[in-house]
Amino acid sequence: MGQLLQYGINGLMAGAIYALIAVGIVSVFKATRVVNFAHGYLIMFGAYFYFTFAVLVPQAAWAPEWLQSWRPDWMIEMREGLPMFSPLAAVLDWLANGPRILLGLAGALICNALLGLLIERTLMRPLMGQSVFAMIMLTVGLISILSGSAQLIWTSDAEFVPALAPNTPIRFELFGQMIFLFGADLANMVIALVIFAAIVAMVRYTKSGVAIRATAEDQSTAYSMGISVPKVFSRAWVLASTTGAIAGAILATRNGISPALGLFGFSVLAIVLMGGLDSYLGVFLAAMIVGVLEALAQWQLGGEWAEIVPYVAVLLVILIRPHGLFGTREIERI
Amino acid sequence: MITGNLKSSYATDEQVLNNRWKRLFLWLCIAGLGLIAAFGNNYIILIACQMGIMLIAVTGVNVVIGYTGLMSLGHAAFLAIGAYAVVIFHNAAGAIIPESLLTLAAIPFAVLVSAIAGVIVGLPSLRVKGLYLAVATLSANFIVLFLIEESFSAPWTGGVNGINTPTPNLLGWEMDTRREQFVLIATLAVLGLLAAQNLFRTRVGRAFIAIRDRDYSAEILGISLYRYKLISFAISAAYCGLAGALFAYFYARILPEQFELHLSLMLVAAIIVGGMGRTMGPVFGVIIIVMVPELIKVVFGALAGGGAELAMIRAPIQEIAFGALIVGFLLFEPFGITQIVDRGLRALNRWPFARG
Repeated sequence: MGQLLQYGINGLMAGAIYALIAVGIVSVFKATRVVNFAHGYLIMFGAYFYFTFAVLVPQAAWAPEWLQSWRPDWMIEMREGLPMFSPLAAVLDWLANGPRILLGLAGALICNALLGLLIERTLMRPLMGQSVFAMIMLTVGLISILSGSAQLIWTSDAEFVPALAPNTPIRFELFGQMIFLFGADLANMVIALVIFAAIVAMVRYTKSGVAIRATAEDQSTAYSMGISVPKVFSRAWVLASTTGAIAGAILATRNGISPALGLFGFSVLAIVLMGGLDSYLGVFLAAMIVGVLEALAQWQLGGEWAEIVPYVAVLLVILIRPHGLFGTREIERI
Repeated sequence: MITGNLKSSYATDEQVLNNRWKRLFLWLCIAGLGLIAAFGNNYIILIACQMGIMLIAVTGVNVVIGYTGLMSLGHAAFLAIGAYAVVIFHNAAGAIIPESLLTLAAIPFAVLVSAIAGVIVGLPSLRVKGLYLAVATLSANFIVLFLIEESFSAPWTGGVNGINTPTPNLLGWEMDTRREQFVLIATLAVLGLLAAQNLFRTRVGRAFIAIRDRDYSAEILGISLYRYKLISFAISAAYCGLAGALFAYFYARILPEQFELHLSLMLVAAIIVGGMGRTMGPVFGVIIIVMVPELIKVVFGALAGGGAELAMIRAPIQEIAFGALIVGFLLFEPFGITQIVDRGLRALNRWPFARG
């Protein structure tokens, strides 16, 4: 029972990150009706950008020293006499990394947003109004282009990247059971959930969000109502690539950076279809369910089994409910 | 300039290759393959064998994507099933069946197993289509590979480390050189292409095309969607199973990682480049998809002359070129090379009265 709770919570934390990645796929689909098979590789670029700006740039000879490790006098003072592994020391370590984490995040966000814009303008827009097959295969082609260029640009082995939050171990008791977590994982989950909620609220309440929904509803009517549909498209891609950048940074701190990060996108794609392509709620639930199932599979069956959990889950759900848990049925006319 | 297509008997109307240019082309192709088998050097034979294996698989993918309009991103799984079926058959039945008949039995066995797997993987196609089907087949690809790699199947499949494959033996003719295997591969590839060309003159093939063009209308016309979608998956899986069987015979060892998603994408890329729903599409597509990385390799080899630094960036460049091929053809020539060839032939045909 106690183990179950621990693995369940681990699963929820993984699920939150899945949800953060999935939100990018859903946003692009809602606005443009394109399912982005290459989203995992956008995330990989986000991770590499984070690595560049948080590790490579501060290490460069021309970078100021405080960027690499920020140690004001008061911090050195506080650090004195602290025992090993104390929570305060972990927080201070994190603060020392603060400048480069911020730089890394900012760099990753900006660069990935530009990348998303570039993809939208050069590749997706010429295909506006083409068949779904063409659009999907275009993103499939994009997979190879992105993964090849990442290997070309970042040839060096990726090393340790700083975590986004103090990585202090947290222990607490829940229903009479000790739960053990890492602070960074918890913070990642909070970041992911906050961004997810913010995007859902944005789509629901702001003007640009309404424009996205209107475009999703009916493209030509949205056009005639004065909504600039191409602008909505770019906005959706920027949204997807920026959330992807944050997800990439989080994944980089959790699992390290490698070209295999892109494969993550496929399992998230399975999650998105399981939840229903155009439903934020469904995707959120599916992400959490898959996260927990993966953790349980890892616990009971071993690590390799966790990898295929999303695929099995999506197959089962699609066979029973072809449009996912909460997806709207597509109505086709002959 | 052809102004009509005169047929004076039903027999001529029913021919697979319905004019003499097509028949001439076929004989020229067979002669060309014969020349390669007789005089090609080892490198040419190697590339030609790879192309032949790919061609059979892509023909199968063309049946399901190009003709039936069902999107599949998981056909590498069927190659894997075919390849492993051959190896397992050889290991299991080697004691019972005499060696000279083993290959003749193993290839149909692999094709059959793949076709059955195709029906199972095709089941989601009854409920979903388009994108959902693409993800369902992609999932199937991951799951099949997982099952091959897992420890419970490792005694038969060798798990992650792969397994050594047998050499084919046709009625006592042991094909232990690449050149002999090329004869087998080329024969099967040509037969497979002709069978595909024939398929679309039959009731089944026309039903596929009707489903591709509009599935609801096809159903109203009395075509059973369930039946024909599953037949389509079975046929294409059978082609891929044959390709997988030849793959196993051709290479000395097979590994699960050879059948990963990348191979599935390569198969789909080949028909996009070549042209979907055309018999010659797979041929052109496979030539491009196999030749472009080879050309890059040759160019880099000439540039670097063994330099390690250039060799390191070769793999990413090949990958980018592969992606650029897909993107480029989708953007600029969505119907693939067959379209370009058609345009050229039409211009030739109408010359000097019109161009194109």
